Amino acid sequence: MGYTLVICEKPDAARRISDALCFGTPESSLVEGTTVYRFKRGEEEFVVCSAQGHVYGISDPLEERSVYPVFDVEWYSSDLVDEKSASITRRISAIRKLAAGASKFVNACDFDVEGETIGFNLLRYACGGREETALRAKFSTLTQEDLLKAFDGLETQAGQGLARAGRARHAIDFVWGVNLSRALSQSALNSGHRYRTVSVGRVQGPTLGFLERREREIRQFVPVPYWKVAGLFKKDGKSITAAYSKEKVETKALAEEVRRDCLGHEAVATAIRKSVVQVGPPVPFNIGDLQKEAYRAFGYTPSRTLQVAERLYLGALISYPRTGSQRLPPSINYAAIMRGIQKVPEYSADAAELLKGELKPVQGPKSDAAHPAIHPTGEVPRRALDVAESAILDLVVRRYLATFGPSARREIVDVSLAVQGHEFKAGGGRTVFMGWMKYYGRYAGYRDVELPSAAEGDKFLTAEVLAEEKFEQRPSRYNQSSLLEKMEREEIGTKATRAEIIATLVSRGYVGGEGMEVTDLGLAVVETMARYAPSVVGTGLTRDIEAKLEGVEGGSEGEATLLRETVRTLASQLAELNLNEEAVGRDIDSAQMKTVARSFFLGGCPVCRKGELRVIRSRTTKKRFVGCSNYQSGCRASAPLPQRGTIRTTTKACERCSWPIIYVLGSGRPWRLCVNPSCPGKRKP
Amino acid sequence: MKCPLCGREAVSDLCAFHLEAGDKVKAAYPLWVKAYGGMKWEDYLDNVKRNVQTGQWAKEIAEFLQGV
Repeated sequence: MGYTLVICEKPDAARRISDALCFGTPESSLVEGTTVYRFKRGEEEFVVCSAQGHVYGISDPLEERSVYPVFDVEWYSSDLVDEKSASITRRISAIRKLAAGASKFVNACDFDVEGETIGFNLLRYACGGREETALRAKFSTLTQEDLLKAFDGLETQAGQGLARAGRARHAIDFVWGVNLSRALSQSALNSGHRYRTVSVGRVQGPTLGFLERREREIRQFVPVPYWKVAGLFKKDGKSITAAYSKEKVETKALAEEVRRDCLGHEAVATAIRKSVVQVGPPVPFNIGDLQKEAYRAFGYTPSRTLQVAERLYLGALISYPRTGSQRLPPSINYAAIMRGIQKVPEYSADAAELLKGELKPVQGPKSDAAHPAIHPTGEVPRRALDVAESAILDLVVRRYLATFGPSARREIVDVSLAVQGHEFKAGGGRTVFMGWMKYYGRYAGYRDVELPSAAEGDKFLTAEVLAEEKFEQRPSRYNQSSLLEKMEREEIGTKATRAEIIATLVSRGYVGGEGMEVTDLGLAVVETMARYAPSVVGTGLTRDIEAKLEGVEGGSEGEATLLRETVRTLASQLAELNLNEEAVGRDIDSAQMKTVARSFFLGGCPVCRKGELRVIRSRTTKKRFVGCSNYQSGCRASAPLPQRGTIRTTTKACERCSWPIIYVLGSGRPWRLCVNPSCPGKRKP
Repeated sequence: MKCPLCGREAVSDLCAFHLEAGDKVKAAYPLWVKAYGGMKWEDYLDNVKRNVQTGQWAKEIAEFLQGV
């Protein structure tokens, strides 16, 4: 009789699972250079090994990046796809060796589409076709309690639908991405310049389409003037600032007329409305909510938040983060988690207070059959956490506490003042009962704006009336958080892939600058696609495929049928691109050149006022610095630059010294910097 | 023929994007005239060009129209 071979998704998970199941430290050894854990549970012998994320991937058997279309694709071990992955070869070889001595197989990868696909492929290709007979361990946290429960209730055929959908998604996305990217890259290369990957993925295309449409609106925007009128009203040494009832006064003449009419006259409080509104607690986090909140609170990009959350999950500090659920079922044991949180001094008082009452969290509308909403496990960290890990863990803990809190109450006051037939309005609000806001702490984000007490009929002196010229604001660019929200709303991508797609748009050079400003290359890709392959940048086709993938998961759609349909659609779009290869290549290549050139230019030189300041890399020291393009004619303007992180241009100049402002993306929060080392704004007082 | 402002394929004398931006610049003129109680076309274009809210293509077309 052989042993039970447990296959995990990552090495950290394998160690945690082994520790939990053997109630101690298991024996560890190296097989083909990878760590394997062995222990006994009763009479049963367990061997636990792990993958390293996806160790099998889809590839093109021809491996010729200049050839397209490519529709016959196969699953390969990832070391053959990526030659640098020698450790993957060792892992597959170890699992293959271990499988030979096993009599029972357990898939203990994360229970979602990706995890199921990883487990399925290993069981099929490395374990000799065990994907149908292997058992499934389902868990949402890596705590001992959850893991023991999962291994005591191993299921059969639990994730077959997820695996089918995952494999279909990988195949479709590969076929889609490789063909369109090769078509664009080759067209640009044939136009005469060097090869550079120009990619368009199935979800990436429509996402870039959202950005391009917004960019077009911004670039074509023409502001229209209006006036904002506000008055300062005084009574008994107290003052109220109130806005004119018409938010935008369309003409200068009318704004001045209001000012003339009111100034120096008596204002009467005509209506005072006080109301108390209940503000319910926020719903538990799903991954999208956590990413948006972390962006708001700390400025972390969605991909960074996901990475940090995964590390916290592997440390058994939070539950599985790639979840769409906003619901916390009682089975997670609210009280046990709360008691765990109570052990941390920072949360001790809040947790103790909540434990005194009935623990009933607010639930959100979205659910996920595989995992509950993201929540803390109540375990204390076994190692020191870095800044980002501490921040995300604090946010998750505080959110968990807040979901159990009572509704907060805010008093809202609206005051109307009448002066010479004109109406002004002021509003204020203050929190009269903290409720859940107390537990959510600084993340609650409500500000108190107090108004002086007033009664109807009170008279005020109109001390000042200002008519301020304003212009309509152009639409704001998406940021990584609002783009993620848009993708969710449009139902494209998955909770696991959206952040990665946004990061790819940045790394491909389709967006740059401080916000998500679309570059010339990004615009050219969308324009080209819209002309020759419009469904690639529209949402309809992608959304339709997503719906069909759900059908594959549920068993109502066949993987092969869906792949055939996709290939048929793609073939017609590729034929059109191929027919216009010359024009496509010219447009993409010229946009590429412009984008690359622009990324080095920071702005006009404030010293010689003729040249442009640009990023230069020293041939001797290899360090980057700022220099003027007018150097040959004598301009010596130069400045050092941060040597770490990515530098993006902002097209903005410093208000104090007119030197360009750059945006630096490093490991911490992104920051703005005036490149002038002698900027008066930098001098210490 | 290429758009003289950006090098894209021109629809008539400009590309589709700059033509659209031009329409927007022209459409906003009566609103500016009404707002200030009168404004010359040249002054309007100058103001649009200098306004920080104006989009890049709208600025380019305002400058182009100044030269026409």
